[in-house]
Amino acid sequence: MENYCKEFKIQKNDIGNAGTVASLTKRELKRRGLTKDFVKTVTIGIYEAEINVVIHSYGGTCVVSIDDEFVNVTFKDNGPGIECIDSALTPGFSTASHYAIENGFGAGMGLPNIKSVSDEMELTSSKEGTTLHMKFNISGDSYES
Amino acid sequence: MRVNNILTNINFELLSNESGLNHEVKSFFASDLLSHVMGNAAEGSTLITVLNNINVLGVASLLDMSCVIFSHGVKVNDEIISKSNELGIPILRTKLNTVSTILILDKIGS
Repeated sequence: MENYCKEFKIQKNDIGNAGTVASLTKRELKRRGLTKDFVKTVTIGIYEAEINVVIHSYGGTCVVSIDDEFVNVTFKDNGPGIECIDSALTPGFSTASHYAIENGFGAGMGLPNIKSVSDEMELTSSKEGTTLHMKFNISGDSYES
Repeated sequence: MRVNNILTNINFELLSNESGLNHEVKSFFASDLLSHVMGNAAEGSTLITVLNNINVLGVASLLDMSCVIFSHGVKVNDEIISKSNELGIPILRTKLNTVSTILILDKIGS
């Protein structure tokens, strides 16, 4: 199947639109005949990361690319960066604002969830911005039979 | 059990239109933290929550959930109801608290 590549913009505090990347990617993965479980895995990872950009950063972008072997997703934001990546990866650790918590987020489960659903995850951060890359392997079993 | 069956009980009111009332309720999941819902709820499950914002529907849609029940009689705004109609995921509301809701749902299902 043809390769897919799409870039999305994510605005700070735009909670109402968080989930757009996940739902459009879900549609594309379904169209390609991938299984419900595979689609769920990828969309959970994307949704969590989208929420992170919305509630923690000054805004950013997301690029989703899909070929026959992998789904690659890269989120880049414009800061302010993660102070301690090890803490951020600890389940339950949270620096979320009252605003995020009121909206049902900020439980400290975002990055741990992303780590557990993705096949590879890379997270780098400085004050200028955070980059999160996640990779999902597509195998024969990933397709509906 | 289907969403329709839940509505036969007097404690539940339908807030959305009738699309999706035929959905099979495969299990229940109660939480007010969306990351917990996302990481743990199963496909076809019905979510019981007091969290009344639009993202609840976003998560329910991503996970192909069968229904969302708002407990404690929380206020549900028009934006949530129209999103529910658009997605075909019915939303119900009850004045019961979450624990009582689960106990009644268990009775309806048995």
